[in-house]
Amino acid sequence: MEEATIRYAGDRAILAEFENEISIEVNSKVRSLKFSLEQEPFPGMKELIPAYRALLIQYDPMVIRSAGVIAQVRERLENLSEVRLPKAVVTEIPVIYEQEFAEDIEEIARLENKSVEEIVRIHSQSDYFVYMLGFAPGHPYTARFENPFSFKRRETPRVRIPGGSIVVQLALSDIIPFDQPCGWKIIGKTPILACDYRKKNPFLLKAGQWIRHIPIGREEYLDIKRQAELGEYICRTYEKEG
Amino acid sequence: MGMRIENGGILTTVQDGGRFGYEQFGVSPSGPMDMRAMNMANILVGNPMNESCLEMTILGPQIRFTSSAVIALTGADMKPTINGRTVSMYRAVAVQSGDVLKLGTVQNGCRTYLAAAGGLDIPELMGSKCTMVGKGFGGYEGRKLQKDDEIGFVKHVSMLPNMQARCTYPDKYQTKEHVLRVIMGPQDDMFTEKGMNSFLGGAYKVGQEFDRMGYRLEGPVIEHKEDGNIISDGVVTGSIQVPTSGRPIVMLAERQTIGGYTKIATVITVDLPVIGQCKAGDVIRFRAVTVDEAQKLYEAYYREMEALQRKMETLSACLPPRNFTVTIGERVYQVQVEEREE
Repeated sequence: MEEATIRYAGDRAILAEFENEISIEVNSKVRSLKFSLEQEPFPGMKELIPAYRALLIQYDPMVIRSAGVIAQVRERLENLSEVRLPKAVVTEIPVIYEQEFAEDIEEIARLENKSVEEIVRIHSQSDYFVYMLGFAPGHPYTARFENPFSFKRRETPRVRIPGGSIVVQLALSDIIPFDQPCGWKIIGKTPILACDYRKKNPFLLKAGQWIRHIPIGREEYLDIKRQAELGEYICRTYEKEG
Repeated sequence: MGMRIENGGILTTVQDGGRFGYEQFGVSPSGPMDMRAMNMANILVGNPMNESCLEMTILGPQIRFTSSAVIALTGADMKPTINGRTVSMYRAVAVQSGDVLKLGTVQNGCRTYLAAAGGLDIPELMGSKCTMVGKGFGGYEGRKLQKDDEIGFVKHVSMLPNMQARCTYPDKYQTKEHVLRVIMGPQDDMFTEKGMNSFLGGAYKVGQEFDRMGYRLEGPVIEHKEDGNIISDGVVTGSIQVPTSGRPIVMLAERQTIGGYTKIATVITVDLPVIGQCKAGDVIRFRAVTVDEAQKLYEAYYREMEALQRKMETLSACLPPRNFTVTIGERVYQVQVEEREE
């Protein structure tokens, strides 16, 4: 039986909270609860929003009242350890790290007291876990679990950075799907679209999966960009080992 | 057939009941700021209550109809006129091709809804026609309407049975002081007793930053035990975020799906239209209710809309109006005959 704190989030949602930390162990409880609810939704269940350590469960109060929802969730929590999550997948994200596309990469190298090549190696040789999507459609919050950078955000956020930017701080790395303000440092750029409204499923990624950054050169960047703009590029995806 | 925008007003957008099913991918539901007014406009013209409508803000648009249609206007009073003549709100109105509907500026309230029988011919994106203005997608090219935009109707409906009876009592937005009922939490335990008293006892003024994404409120600072940061979690429409500054922000239709600030309380569903009709300077007080009370109020709302819908369906069951040409002596009269419930 897993302990979770159930809280009200208005008259059509509850929040199931696990331990107050950002870790893959705690997040796996969020995913297990979500998976259990998705496999066997209760009548009146609406959208689920997974986050680092909490799952927001929305429902239709014309079908089920709060007490009924809480009972449903408690029941799932009792059997949470038996939930077998599907095998995690890794999606490869091509990234160009050349200065022209990576405004801050030299500064990052300086701050970390390493060469640009070493920075690229650190960023591209770990799998990053997608904790959740949010802020903008298709925007993943990802983290690696070894060798974090030591720097945090910029002192002054930029008013606008281009869609496709890969931004970092500490062990975190995000793909920016659309132009937006941002205070993180730009380490590279991907030619792929993390959100493409022309597609039936517009979103490249899903909470609970992994990504790996694959360094590419300028020619490959332009080639993939052309394919992505035509909606034809498909990222390589495979099952995560272990 | 449809309508041409001659002047877009301040912020006129296509909205429907909302875009659902994609919040886990970071897509907020968007939809109307005043669900109640939008539902009523649709019901009056015989549409499903979450059909696509225009949401008009503070200063309304000017619209020329390019075909006949049946429309209804609800929400804040924008003093609508058709061809210069005053037209009633909260009533189905038949318009002809060439008619010009002009909406003025609201005195009280903030948003007005225009429904057209048959709904608006707008492509669906992720199952919805609503516009996400802040992120620029959905609805009419992902943006607010402007001069020369044209919107068609899905069906051409020039008359509905029993037009006279297709009306309901207007909601009033006369006061500038409002009570929003809230359910405390999810993070109400992160505030001091003093903070809780400020929130529930204070008067909060809507500041200059109020839009479809959220309303920033000015009033007594709400004190945290520590600070206003949490490990980010899910946000709902009506979540009241209180960052470390202690100044509350009510998250609305175009909110983020995930947020990293403490949420002291959530506005109940039936009161979301109340804040959706507020604008800068309006004063809000919060009152805590139980989830049970809020859900009963929501059920009552739902029943009210169903009853209004049934009333319209009963009207539709009557014979459609028929037109006759009657000649009396040398004069020719066009006569419309329809069955009416008395």
